[in-house]
Amino acid sequence: MEETTKSIVLGLCSGGIYALLAVSYVVIYKSTRVFPFSQAAVLIIGAYFMWFCLIVWHLPIWLGFLMTCAVGAILGMAIERAFMRPLVGQPILAPIVVTLCLMLLLRGIGILMGKGNIQGFGESFLPVGAWKISFLHLPKIQVYGFILCGVLIVGLMLFYAKTRLGLGMRVVHEDHVVAQNLGINVKRIFQYSWVISCIIAVITGMLLGNIQGVGLSLDLNGLIAIAAVLFGGLESFSGAIIAGLAIGILQMLTITYIAPLLPGETTMMAPFVFLLLILFLKPYGLFGLVRIERL
Amino acid sequence: MSININRPCGTFDRNYFQAKELYRTPLRKTLLALLIVGMYLLPLTMGDYGLSLLIPICAFTIGMLGLQIITGYCGQISLGHAAFMGVGMYTVGILQRHFGFSFWFCLPLAGLIPMFLGMMFGIPALRIKGLYLAFATLAAHFVIVYVINNWRSVTNGTEGMWMKRPDVLFGIDFKSDRNYYFLVLTITIIMTYLATNLARTKLGRSFVAVRDNDIAAEVMGINIAYTKIMAFGIGCFFAGIAGALGGAYYEYVNIAWFRLEDSIWYLGFLVVGGFGSIFGAIAGAVVWKILDEATTLVTPLAEIFLGGAAFYASAAFALVFYSLIIVIFLVFEPRGIAHRWEIVKRSYRLHPFPY
Amino acid sequence: MAEITGDITKKREQRYSYGLTLLRECIEKKRPLTNPNPKEGKVLLQAEDISIAFGKLQALNHVTVEVKEGEILAIIGPNGAGKTCLLNVISGFYRAQNGQVYFEGSRITHSSSHSIAELGLCRTFQNIALYTGLSVIDNIIAGRHPHIGYNFLTGMIYFPFANREEARQRAVAEDIIDFLELEHVRGSVVGMLAYGLRKRVELGRALALEPRILLLDEPMAGMNLDEKEDMARFIIDINEFLKIPIVLIEHDMGVVMDIADRIVVLDFGNKIAEGPPEEIKKNPKVIAAYLGAG
Repeated sequence: MEETTKSIVLGLCSGGIYALLAVSYVVIYKSTRVFPFSQAAVLIIGAYFMWFCLIVWHLPIWLGFLMTCAVGAILGMAIERAFMRPLVGQPILAPIVVTLCLMLLLRGIGILMGKGNIQGFGESFLPVGAWKISFLHLPKIQVYGFILCGVLIVGLMLFYAKTRLGLGMRVVHEDHVVAQNLGINVKRIFQYSWVISCIIAVITGMLLGNIQGVGLSLDLNGLIAIAAVLFGGLESFSGAIIAGLAIGILQMLTITYIAPLLPGETTMMAPFVFLLLILFLKPYGLFGLVRIERL
Repeated sequence: MSININRPCGTFDRNYFQAKELYRTPLRKTLLALLIVGMYLLPLTMGDYGLSLLIPICAFTIGMLGLQIITGYCGQISLGHAAFMGVGMYTVGILQRHFGFSFWFCLPLAGLIPMFLGMMFGIPALRIKGLYLAFATLAAHFVIVYVINNWRSVTNGTEGMWMKRPDVLFGIDFKSDRNYYFLVLTITIIMTYLATNLARTKLGRSFVAVRDNDIAAEVMGINIAYTKIMAFGIGCFFAGIAGALGGAYYEYVNIAWFRLEDSIWYLGFLVVGGFGSIFGAIAGAVVWKILDEATTLVTPLAEIFLGGAAFYASAAFALVFYSLIIVIFLVFEPRGIAHRWEIVKRSYRLHPFPY
Repeated sequence: MAEITGDITKKREQRYSYGLTLLRECIEKKRPLTNPNPKEGKVLLQAEDISIAFGKLQALNHVTVEVKEGEILAIIGPNGAGKTCLLNVISGFYRAQNGQVYFEGSRITHSSSHSIAELGLCRTFQNIALYTGLSVIDNIIAGRHPHIGYNFLTGMIYFPFANREEARQRAVAEDIIDFLELEHVRGSVVGMLAYGLRKRVELGRALALEPRILLLDEPMAGMNLDEKEDMARFIIDINEFLKIPIVLIEHDMGVVMDIADRIVVLDFGNKIAEGPPEEIKKNPKVIAAYLGAG
């Protein structure tokens, strides 16, 4: 019982990060109907750049954070402008291959930035140590990370709900042609979606780099977040959040219960088995929309 | 397809059989025969290095044909193609090591087992419309790699397995690379023949129908789920055979060779070659292998220019360079090399008219 | 089956009957083509008590439609009445929440659309669903899909056998093209054709499926008078040559009154009238809902 609670609580903390990453996928998918595999690799870029800021240039944490976010924004704008916009009229296959190749391109850039090594952050930018609450051993990093993810997600939801730009984005989510007829600049909305998504991915990269070490294996988290997105439904924010938390809990439970039974790295494999199960049972996800085609 | 707009001037199709022919005029038939004979004669001009290029090209071609059937004809995205090649390789390895079967017996199984495995992974995803097959094959990739890495008793884990070349057949010993090349070339020609015919038959047409407009396809009595599953199964069959042939060449197989990025390169170079045509698949495979060779040549050059930084630059080289090439092709020539080749042929056929 | 290996010149002497001869031969191999007895009034397709709602929008409300042998049934109604919806339910694209559909006595309510198409219930679409990248002849040959004989392994390995089958199918498709007067665009890519021609190609594709009943969704939308007359002639010819009933959704009242044997009127998902054209013209409910001052 103790073990289970510990797993669930720790799982929630890491699940928060997966939820944030899943939200970044859904932001782009809802706007542009292209599934951005490349966000998995933006994690790597974010982690490496933060490492540069903190370790190589010895900048204070807040400055590093802002600069990394700026880099994320620029990256998002560049990707959308250079790679996605020329492909606007083409069948669905083209943007997907481009995002996949972008994932590898960013991975390559990550190798060049980091000289191929896995670095720790040295002094991590979130405080180390842990709190003890009865039998729970909560690392501070995880909790602060979870709070940060929560703040960001809530901020994003408020942005969509309250601001005018958010309303415009929600219209684009429904129908591009209708949005254009209402005078919304759909291309700019695409750009904003990519910028938001890349900023989120870069922040997630910073957090994960802190926890897991800055290295090339960070994009595995991105791929696991894909399982979360599918579980929650490709077009649903609430689904992405809930599914991210669920995948986090699933991973922790796997570490506790299943890993001792099976050899090798089960923690990375379990979400994908779960993904296959979801496809069998509920392919559209928890809150996914089944589109009825008008004939 | 049925209406051949690229018949040379003066040749008309007098009956329906002639309309269906791919190589209509005697000139084209002779050229095709010369090409095939030329490919068989190539080893005479090049030594082992050339063979080390040609045999993987042939293996990649078979794999690309498989992916062309899945993606180019049927419009499904498969991110597990490299993994299924690995399954094909490992099938031969396991059967040879544990049961001592000869290569000839293992070869068809090396195609069938990835086919059934692929259909198993693909069935849940193919019932629904959308790009769910991409996710299913992504998951399949990780599951397959995990199983192969950790089922040590059967697959020898991360150390890889040794494979044997085919046994002596009709007195030809396949230990020599040249004889093995002839075998691989023959199998490649057979698979290309099968793939070309598949494109022209009822099933091939239903692939294209499902890709273009699946509502219309349903109305016409095409069972969409069956068609997509068949496309995926046949594509994985080709991938398995490609894996088996490649593995027997290197006589060693290791799942570490088949990373997720290899599946993505398969897709990417299929785009570079051109969707929807056999020539496109072959072109993509050739381009990929040539770029691979270029990458291996870069490493010593990088040593010269970059000094200590070389080892990671060459690791990143393939990633950055290939991605850029694929993206450039997608942006500027989305129909790939095959389309460019068609334009070149048309321009010299219509010379001196512009179009 | 007529010889297909001969020269095109020989073929020219045999054709110009405009009667879908090859297609009729293909159908006759599977079932006899007899003139339906109008007095018998045998029911071929029956949609009973269909109700379907999309969220709060009730698209169809307990609608019952019957199609008898050999008749031309027209379904009319204002926009949004649920006519296309009814056709979608019958052909299996939508699942009705209530009601059953019977075709030739057997229940087809929740069957998948492709098995319904194989049974012989073929339809065309209001917004055309053709393969825009393929040529006209390829689209029509694509419609022959359920009736092509060989399986894929035979096709892959021993192509000459499949070749003969393909040539046979090509001959049938050419027969349909002759009937629909599409010879001049036979090789053009469908994406580049005009709307009226595309509607004809779609009709040709529905014919290629050897239909037992045809459901046509606004076959004359967007055509001028000439084209409408052509299309009406085709519909009447199909009804006579293939002895099949045709269900027609149409807005042009002149055409409907001319060629339909029976008319069903829908309004906001309810069936408000049914009967021969003379009765419908005078029916006060129909006049109020649809015909207006006409």
